[in-house]
Amino acid sequence: MADTTMGTPATAARPSLFLRNATGLVKAWSTFDAFIYSFWSINLITLGLYGMSYVYTVPDGQLLVGILLFGVLVTFLVITYAMLVSVMPRTGGDYAWQSRVLGGGLGFVLSITGWWFTLFLWAPIYANILVVQFFSPLAYTLGWTGVATFFTSQTGIFVSCLIVLAFVSVVVTMGMETYARIQKVCFWIGLAGLAVVCGLLLFYSQSDFQNAFNREATSLFGAPANAYQGTIDAASKTFGGSSFGTFAFGPVLLLLPWLAFYLLWPNWGATLYGEVRGAKDIRKPFWSMFAGLWVTVAMVAVVVLLINKTIGWNFYQSANAAYWNNLFAVQGAAAPPVPIWPYPVMFAGFLVNNHLFQALLIIVMGLWFFGWAGTLFLSSTRVIFAAAFDRVLPAWAANISAKRRVPYGSLALMIVPSIVISAIYAFKPSFTSVFLDATAVLALTFFATVVAAIILPWRRKDLYEASPIARYKVAGVPAITIVGVITGLFLLFMLYEWSFNKDNLYGTSFQSTPNSVYYFLATYVVAVVIYVVARVVRNRQGIDLRRIHHEIPVE
Amino acid sequence: MPKIFFATDLHGSEVCWKKFLNAGKFYGAEVLICGGDMTGKAIVPIVSENGHYTVALGGEEQAVAADQVGEVEANIRRKGYYPLRMSVGRLHELDQDPVKRAECFQEVMLEGVDRWMGLAADKLRGSGIRCFVCPGNDDEMEVDDVIRRAELVELGEGHVVEIDGFSMISTGWSNPTPWKTHREESEEKLAARIDAMASQIPDPSRAIFNLHCPPYKSGLDEAPAIDADLKLLHGGRALRPVGSTAVREAIERRQPLISLHGHIHESKGAVKIGKTLSINPGSAYEEGMLMGAIIQLDPKKGIKSYQLVNG
Repeated sequence: MADTTMGTPATAARPSLFLRNATGLVKAWSTFDAFIYSFWSINLITLGLYGMSYVYTVPDGQLLVGILLFGVLVTFLVITYAMLVSVMPRTGGDYAWQSRVLGGGLGFVLSITGWWFTLFLWAPIYANILVVQFFSPLAYTLGWTGVATFFTSQTGIFVSCLIVLAFVSVVVTMGMETYARIQKVCFWIGLAGLAVVCGLLLFYSQSDFQNAFNREATSLFGAPANAYQGTIDAASKTFGGSSFGTFAFGPVLLLLPWLAFYLLWPNWGATLYGEVRGAKDIRKPFWSMFAGLWVTVAMVAVVVLLINKTIGWNFYQSANAAYWNNLFAVQGAAAPPVPIWPYPVMFAGFLVNNHLFQALLIIVMGLWFFGWAGTLFLSSTRVIFAAAFDRVLPAWAANISAKRRVPYGSLALMIVPSIVISAIYAFKPSFTSVFLDATAVLALTFFATVVAAIILPWRRKDLYEASPIARYKVAGVPAITIVGVITGLFLLFMLYEWSFNKDNLYGTSFQSTPNSVYYFLATYVVAVVIYVVARVVRNRQGIDLRRIHHEIPVE
Repeated sequence: MPKIFFATDLHGSEVCWKKFLNAGKFYGAEVLICGGDMTGKAIVPIVSENGHYTVALGGEEQAVAADQVGEVEANIRRKGYYPLRMSVGRLHELDQDPVKRAECFQEVMLEGVDRWMGLAADKLRGSGIRCFVCPGNDDEMEVDDVIRRAELVELGEGHVVEIDGFSMISTGWSNPTPWKTHREESEEKLAARIDAMASQIPDPSRAIFNLHCPPYKSGLDEAPAIDADLKLLHGGRALRPVGSTAVREAIERRQPLISLHGHIHESKGAVKIGKTLSINPGSAYEEGMLMGAIIQLDPKKGIKSYQLVNG
C-alpha cells in the first residue's frame, strides 16, 4: 500500500512527492560506485601512462597545462552527456540518442562503427598495454628474458591478443555483478600500489633514480654502464629533447589529441539504469563523471610532477622517443640500451634494490589493467543487442545461453573479427596506423551524439521541454545546445588534427596513412550495407525498419 | 489474420496511453494488448498558497500562476505521475497519515484508469479494434472493476480469450518482489494460476501467453541488482535475473506460439524458449515513449513477423 513518502531533498521542509510501493522504485546508486566506473574508464595507469608516452612528439607542449585544458574541455562533454541522460534516462546510450534524434539509419551506422567495428581494434591495443605494462616488465624483473622477448615477437603479440580476448570473454561469462566486485578489489589494491609508486618518486632524488636505473639496466637488461645517459643519447638521433618548463600555447593544443587516448572517456558509462528517484536529475550522472574526470586529472598532474622531479622530464621523454622511434623504425633511430617500454611504475620500483619487491609492485599495478580491461566489449554487446532487437541484425545476435546467461551471439560477433584483426596487427605491421585511429573513430561517434544534443531542443521538442534541463538557458539559447557546440568544436579540432595534421604527428593523417582511411571507409560502407540489406530483407518479411523510431501521434 | 500491438508498464503516463490507443491505426493493428501496470507510482502535490501554486518537479520547487497550472498538470501526467491540487493543510495530513495517503492514492489511480477507459471509448469506437488490458502487479485489485465497466476495453486477467483463431491467457500476477506489491504470490501459486488457464487451451501452437512477469533467466528479466535497502549496487551496472520460474516452466512445458511480458522495464528483448517467441518490449513511460511490439500472426506460419518499436 501507499505507505512510503519521500520529499524532495532540496526542499526537505515539506514533502513534494508521495510515492507508493511499486516495482522498480529503487534508491539511487552510490555516487562512489558510479565514480569508480567513470574513474576506470579514464584509467590513469593503463591508458594514461600509455597515451602519455607519445607526447614526446610535441616536445614544446607543456603537459600539465595540456592536461588541465583537456579536463576543462572534456567537462563540457560530461555536461552534454549528463544532460542527455537527464532527458532520456531509460533509453540512454549513443545508439539510442543518435537513433531517436538523428534517425534510425544514421544512428545505426555511426554507433555500429564506433561501438562494434572499432572495438575490434582496441583488443590489440589492450594487448599491447598488457605486454608493456605487465608481461614484459614482470618477466625481465624475474629474469625470464625469454618470456619477455617472446611477447615482442609476432607470435607473442598475437598470443597476447588472444589472452586479452580470453580474459574479456571470461568477464562477460561471469557477469557484470561479479566483475564489479573484482573491480572494487582492484581499485583499492591498485590505489595502494599507486601510493607506493608516488611515495618512492617523492622521497627519492633524481640522482638516486639515475643510480638505480643504471644499476637495474645492467642487472636486468645487460645494458652498458650509465644507461641513463645512454638512453638520452640514443633518443637524440631522432629527438631534440624536452623541457618541462617550456610553454607555448600552440603545442599545448597539439597535445590534446594524444591526451584523448585516455581522458576522453569519463562518459563511457553514461547509460544508466533504473527508475531512481530523481533519475532525471542531472546532478547524479554529472557528478559521477565529473569526479571521475577531475580526480584522474589531479592524479595525473601529481604523477607528472613526480616524474619530472625524480625521473627527469628530458630523460622520460627521451626514453619514450627512443623506444617508439626504434620500434616504428624511424629513420636514424637508435636502439635504447634498455629495450623496454619506459614504464614509470617499473622505474619507481628500481628505487628499491630488491627484484621481488619490484615484481610485486608490477603485479599490484597490473590490477589497474585487470580491473579495467574486462569491460572492453560491454558497450559493444549492448549495441549489438539493441540492433538485433531492432531487427537490423539477425535475432541470434542477441541470443543468451539458458544456463549461464552468456550472450554467445554478440560475443562471437566481437571475438571472431577481433581475432582476425589481432592477427593483422601482429603479422602486418604496415597496418599500425589503423590502430592509432581507434580513438578518432570513437570521437567521431561522440561527435554525432553531441550533434544530436545540439539539435535536441528542436528535433525532439516534446522530450526536451518535458525534461528538467529545459529551464537551463543562456540568453534564451538552450544550455544543452551551447555546451554541445563547445564540445563539438573541441572534438572537431581533434578530428581535424588526427586526419590532416601536416606532419602526421599522430600517425593517422590521411595523406600519410591510406590503409587507415581505407579501413575506416570500409567499416562505414559495411555498416551502410548491413542496414540497407536489413531494410530490404525485413521489408520482404513485412517489417518496415523505418518505423522503429517513428513516434505515434498522441492526439 | 490479426496484427497485434503489445505494450506494457505505462505506469500512469497519459501520453503513452493515448499513443497506445492510436497504435492500432498507426501500425495497422487490429488487436491492442496492454500487459499491465497501468497505474502511476507517485502523486505530485500542487499546493495552493498565498494566491499561487507551488510544485516541485525534477528537483526544484517552483511557484506557478493559476493560469499555468493546467500546463503543469499535463506535464506531470506525461511522466506518469498524478498531479493533485491541495491545500497546505491537506499536504501535511497526507504526509502524516499513511491510511489517508493510501486512500488518496487509490482515489486518483481509479479516477485515472476510469479516464483512460473513457479515452479508449472515444478513440476506438467504430474502429473495429479490440483492446485488452490485464492489470499488473503494481495495479490495485479495484482497477479490474473499472476495466470491467469499460465500454471498449476487455479485461484479460484470468480469462482465455479468442483472437481470430488464436487463444490468449493473461495474468498480471508476479513472483514476490522486494516492493510487496498488490499481485504477488509464491512461484507455486503462480504456476497453479497459469496452469488453470493454460489447461483450457486446445492448441498451444496457437496460444498467446500474456503473462506480466517474464520467464526466469530468459534475458527478458534482467533488473539492476539492489541491496536489502533497495539501493542500486555497483553504480546500476550489475544486472540480475528476477523473472518467474513458474512462468518459465509454463512456457517450456506448454510451448505456446508466443509469450508477452513486461514488469522489467530495462530488459527489452525477444528470445526463443524452445518453439516459443518470448517478448518484453520494455518501457520508457517516463519519457513519454511507448515501447511496444508489433506481431503479425499467420494461420499457417503462426508468427509471420514481429518487430519491437519505440513509438
